[in-house]
Amino acid sequence: MCWAVPAKVVSIDSDFVATVDLGGNTLKKVAIGVDNLQVGDYVMVHAGVIIAKLTKQQVIENIKFIAEQIKEVAEIEGINPDEAVKSFMDAFSYILKDVEGESSGG
Amino acid sequence: MDLPKQIELIFRENTPLAAKISDEIAKLTPKVIEKTGLDKIKIMNFCGSHEWTTTHYGLRALMPKEVELIPGPGCPVCVTPSSDIENMIKLAIDGYRVYTFGDAFRLPTVNHYKKDQIGSLAMAKAAGADVRIAYSFVDAIEDAKKDNKPSVFFGIGFETTSPSYAVLFAKGKVPKNLMFYSSIKLTAPAAEYAVKLHKATKRTPVSGVIGPGHVSTIIGAMSWDFFPVKYKIPAVVSGFEPIDVLTGVLVILKDLYTGDIKFTNLEYKRVTTIKGNLYAQEKIREVFDVVDAIWRGIGTIPKSGLDLNEKYSEYNARLQLGLKEKPWDYDLPPGCRCNEVTLGTAYPDECPLFMKACTPARPWGPCMVSMEGACAVWARFGSSQRVLEIIKEVKSNVLGSSG
Ligand code: SF4
Repeated sequence: MCWAVPAKVVSIDSDFVATVDLGGNTLKKVAIGVDNLQVGDYVMVHAGVIIAKLTKQQVIENIKFIAEQIKEVAEIEGINPDEAVKSFMDAFSYILKDVEGESSGG
Repeated sequence: MDLPKQIELIFRENTPLAAKISDEIAKLTPKVIEKTGLDKIKIMNFCGSHEWTTTHYGLRALMPKEVELIPGPGCPVCVTPSSDIENMIKLAIDGYRVYTFGDAFRLPTVNHYKKDQIGSLAMAKAAGADVRIAYSFVDAIEDAKKDNKPSVFFGIGFETTSPSYAVLFAKGKVPKNLMFYSSIKLTAPAAEYAVKLHKATKRTPVSGVIGPGHVSTIIGAMSWDFFPVKYKIPAVVSGFEPIDVLTGVLVILKDLYTGDIKFTNLEYKRVTTIKGNLYAQEKIREVFDVVDAIWRGIGTIPKSGLDLNEKYSEYNARLQLGLKEKPWDYDLPPGCRCNEVTLGTAYPDECPLFMKACTPARPWGPCMVSMEGACAVWARFGSSQRVLEIIKEVKSNVLGSSG
C-alpha cells in the first residue's frame, strides 16, 4: 500500500477530490492533500491521496544534490572534483538537456 | 518526453550513474572503516519500498562486504496487530460492511474466530461476510454512500496515508454510516526503537538510516534530525529508485568519513522538502490525536499511533462499538520471526518457515503478505542477492581483496 505513483491532474472536481491520470489513460478519483492544485500538474499519488506536486525544477534540484555528493566524495578521494562532476553529468546529459530545456521553456 | 519518463531515465534506468556511484561507495568504504574503526557499516532502511528497490535491483550485491543494508520496521501491513484484524473480522461477521486495503485483506490473525475457522478478512469474506477491498478512502466513501449500510473502514498506514483520511474528515465528507477504525502508525518512534535496540543488545550498531521518502513528504525531512543530533548517526531521506538508494548509501558513508553529522540530508528533493507538506500536517492535527500504539510482534511503542480525536469520536469505531485491544502478549503465529525481521535483527531467510510453510501464495506470518513486507520481497527477489554476498565474502577470504 506504500507505493506512490506519479500522475497528471486531469480535472479538479471539488475542493477535496481531483481526477488524475495514472498513465495509459487510467483515471482515478483521489483526495487532494496539497495546496494550490491545478489541472495539468504532475503529482505523486499515494493510497488515493495526492501527497506532493512534482516539477521539473525539483528534478533538477535532485540531480544537483547527487552531483554535489559526487563532488564532495571526489574531494575526499583526492580526485579533481570538477572532473568527477563532469563525468557524472556526462552519464545522463541527454536527459538533463531535455529536462532543463522544457523547464526553461515554461 | 513527459516528467515521469524523464525521472525513470534519470533515477531508474541510468546504469552508468549506478556504476559510478557504486564505484564511489567501493572506494570510500575502506576509508570510512579506517577512520571510524567500525568493522561493519550497517545501514537501516525504513520503507518497505526501499527494501523492495534494494532487493529487486540487487543493490546488496553492489555493496562492499563491510556495508550491510538491513530492512527496518517500514511496512504498515506487517505491524498491524492481530487483535485489530480480529476486531475487523468480528464486525464483518456481525453484519457490518468492512472496507480494507487489499494488503490487509489476507493478513493472518493468531486467534481464529469461531472454533479456529476464520483467520483473516479474506476468510471472513469467503464465509459470506461483507468485506470490500477499497483502493482508497475516497472510493470507500463513495461506495458507503450508496446504500447507507453500517460500515467500518479499516484505517491502516503511516503518515503518508493519514492525509487521505484527515482531508476527508476535516472537509466533513465522511457519511454517518461509515465509521473508522484507526490502526495508523507513526514512523519516527519505531525507527528510533529499532536503532536503540541494536545499540542496547550489543549487535553491530546501526551506522546510518535511509529515511522514508514519502512519509517525509508529509512530515518533512527535518523530522529525522534526531538521528544526527541525538544519536550522532547520519540520516538521509531517499527516493525509491535505485539511484536514490545508492546515493543514500554514498551520503551516509561520506558523512561518517567527514564526521560532519549535523542534520538530515535530503536526497529526495524532487518530491520532499525539509518541512514537508504543511497543508496535510494541518489537516492531520485537526482530525487526529497522537496515541500509544501496538506494533505487531513488538509491543507498545509510546506516541507511535494516531486515533480520531474527540471532535470526530462519533466516527471512532473503537469507541462507538466498544472494541477492545487485547493486552499485547505475543501476536505472531507460532514460529514466525516477523518481529526480528521488522527490527532488522534477522534476515527473512533466517526464519525456518521462509519459503517452506510460509510463501507469498500462502503467508504464515504478516511479513509475507504485502509487497512491502521484507519476507514477501525476499521471497520474490531476495535469495540470489544473499548468494552473491556469500560468494563475494568467500572469494575475498580465500583470494584476498584483489580476488
Ligand atoms: S517467513 Fe513467514 S513466518 Fe517467517 S518471519 Fe517471515 S512472515 Fe514470519
